[in-house]
Amino acid sequence: MDLITKERDRLLQRTARVYGLSFTLVALLCFVLPGAVSGAALIISLPLFVVLGVAQFRIGISRSPVWLALSLGAGLAIVVVTCTVGDRPSQAGFTAVLELAAASLAASGLVLTSNAPRIAALVIVFLVVGTTLLLLTSDLQAPLRTAGIYVLGWVLPTLIAIWISAGVPQVAKRIASIGRAHRAERQASELEAQRRQGARLLHDTVLATLTLLAHSGVGVTPEALRQQAGDDAKLLRQLRLGTTPTPNGTAGATVGTATSPIQVIDEPVLGTTLESVKQRFGRMGLQVSWHGTGQVLLPSDHLDAFLLALAECLENVRRHSGVTEAHVTITEDNKMVRAMVTDAGVGFDISDIDDAKLGFTESVVARLRDVGGNARLFSAPGSGTTVVLEVPRGDASTAEAGQ
Amino acid sequence: MTFSAPEENTLGVVVNNARRAVGKTARRLGRASAHRASLGTAFLGLGAAILVGLRCVYGVSWFIGVWGRGAYPQPLAALSAWIVLGAVVVGAIVTSRVIGDRLPDWMFGLFLTGLLVAVALDVIAVWELHDIGRNATAALAAGMALLVVVTVRGSSEILIAAGVLGAGLAVVIFLDTPPTEQITGEWIAPQITAVAAAVLPAVIGVAIVEGFRRMVQVELDRVLVQSTVSAPRYAVGMLASEELARLDLAAEELLESIASKKTALPLAPKMASVAASLATELRLHLIEGRRETWLYHAVSESEMLGKAVTLVDKSSLAGLLDPIQRDGLLAAAWLLVGDTITSNASRTVTVQVGPVAPGETPVPEHKILIPITITTTGVARNRVDPSIWDALGRVGHYSDHTQDSSLRVDIECLVDNPADL
Repeated sequence: MDLITKERDRLLQRTARVYGLSFTLVALLCFVLPGAVSGAALIISLPLFVVLGVAQFRIGISRSPVWLALSLGAGLAIVVVTCTVGDRPSQAGFTAVLELAAASLAASGLVLTSNAPRIAALVIVFLVVGTTLLLLTSDLQAPLRTAGIYVLGWVLPTLIAIWISAGVPQVAKRIASIGRAHRAERQASELEAQRRQGARLLHDTVLATLTLLAHSGVGVTPEALRQQAGDDAKLLRQLRLGTTPTPNGTAGATVGTATSPIQVIDEPVLGTTLESVKQRFGRMGLQVSWHGTGQVLLPSDHLDAFLLALAECLENVRRHSGVTEAHVTITEDNKMVRAMVTDAGVGFDISDIDDAKLGFTESVVARLRDVGGNARLFSAPGSGTTVVLEVPRGDASTAEAGQ
Repeated sequence: MTFSAPEENTLGVVVNNARRAVGKTARRLGRASAHRASLGTAFLGLGAAILVGLRCVYGVSWFIGVWGRGAYPQPLAALSAWIVLGAVVVGAIVTSRVIGDRLPDWMFGLFLTGLLVAVALDVIAVWELHDIGRNATAALAAGMALLVVVTVRGSSEILIAAGVLGAGLAVVIFLDTPPTEQITGEWIAPQITAVAAAVLPAVIGVAIVEGFRRMVQVELDRVLVQSTVSAPRYAVGMLASEELARLDLAAEELLESIASKKTALPLAPKMASVAASLATELRLHLIEGRRETWLYHAVSESEMLGKAVTLVDKSSLAGLLDPIQRDGLLAAAWLLVGDTITSNASRTVTVQVGPVAPGETPVPEHKILIPITITTTGVARNRVDPSIWDALGRVGHYSDHTQDSSLRVDIECLVDNPADL
């Protein structure tokens, strides 16, 4: 069964509960007024009212016809007992009986419209209760008037149920169209996130600049930092406006000229991208010397991890080593690409790295390990630092899959 | 462009603080769908308006009957009561049809004042008869007239108005009692019926509209979450790209303001720490954003599932399920959580996906078998909706047990082996 149909039934059940219980309460209040019904009828009926109340409460949460039958049985029994046991009910007693038969029990109409068997049951119940009521109270009020009130009382909840049921398909249709729109929105959002996350190189340079700024830009000339910030801001703006820019090695020289410095390329060639890292650090005052392989092909996720790790290492050199030159040696074999970052700076005690470089371990080492690589760190106070980064090459097919 | 610090921590997915992220997502989506809760209530409002119209016709015919008997001590008061009530009801119906959304406070105030005037006039008209219950007409119809605005005002406001009206009528009836010897059951019963006739329609109307709104809310929640079924194996979720975009924008503005010399270098410590936190958040978003599966997003984005479902999926295996299996799993979770036979909070569902235990059962080529275990608390085996078994069957071969007097289902879910794709 449709889930919304289930929800609709639940709604009708709860409505039937409120409807039935409210009128049961009103009937009970009239019922216990002094002189309304005979003493014997009162004593017999009170437990029946309890049964009726419990059954109507259960109708609100259970679709089982047992509770429905129980409530109708109890209600009918009260009507019969009131009119046949002891003295005839007074006008107040008759009001109670009418409230019960024409309003409280009529709440069943709310839950008896959903399918053919239930509608048949509704008709039968309506006839049985109505006939009983009319036969037993014909002397208390003109039967025609009683019948009018009774029919009105049963038609009302049935119409409410039909009206609600008619409203549900309309709502379901609109909700479904909202759902379709949402699915498209989700796909678009997914693509957008992929595009932004895919711009790893751009984010690497932005992150490097932000990290510099986090240290108040100490150690870099304000002009260089402004230049770098301006370049990065331009890249971010282009990303925002819909293209996927890649930082270019010569960006610093040509940004703002007529020829766009931004290349929309996604080729996983290490050579050009290494150059951009070098340029960036050159501007910050760290001379990076490259040694070894110039062109290395890597799957893009491997390349990302590799470059991020490399940039982080160089940033550490720039910030902490106290020297202005670093050497990067790239080597490769059949399985791995390695980078060895060395400086002749102050070095440090490896055991200090835990808290001080937590970010480094988290972001760089973890990301290298994700692609099957690793990072190793060698240093001692006074004798410089060497970091070895390695990532697996992957073959051409993995490179395809990595896209 | 000047830079201002981000208003809040924008991390959507923090590994060791997922609960917070989940709550935030749910809140935000809840806000987004709150104004959609009015879906379909216009139709209900139309029904209510028709009912009120019929009730007024009935009331007027009763009024004409009393008028014809010449029973009114103050017939003009009764007539003006009906004129006021008619004007108020017609005005309210037209206005709420036109506005369609929420009635402004002052209009609601005007409406209530109109009803109050009608009730007062009607009570004055029949005061000397000392039997308000049997003779009041417009005063009772005024209670039902509250239904006109039941879909365009808050439920509590309607209930309070109905309560005040009921209490007011009771007080007036009490003040207007006839000589003691006339106070019998015969006299009291119509008074009770009259108060009930004034109050109950509004109460029942509120119950219906509340239930309807709840139904729409639940269905919306379900339909929105359903869209995760077609998500890729790993997804960032609806809000991640928005947050990434915001972080990017914040970074852009900061860098721009530095480049254009609006922000002085070297940076003030406060700005520096802003840059640091921006870098950290950006880094975490870039690294952690794509580890979550559709199921995680479904659970965290749904108000209903988020409250009751705990997801254990260390290896993100749920991402391997195909759309039919996902649909089945989601429907099963929905039925377990949503089928609130007793609406208590003690019902929880834990969905554990994996770990894969290789080699135990023979599987077809290019497939792997992912064990999924659903453990529940507070869900009796014989109380679950039967359609859940059909939903579970779509996920895979399952077996159900009872554990700690609650349902437990083990599913063997066959999926394409990602290594063979």
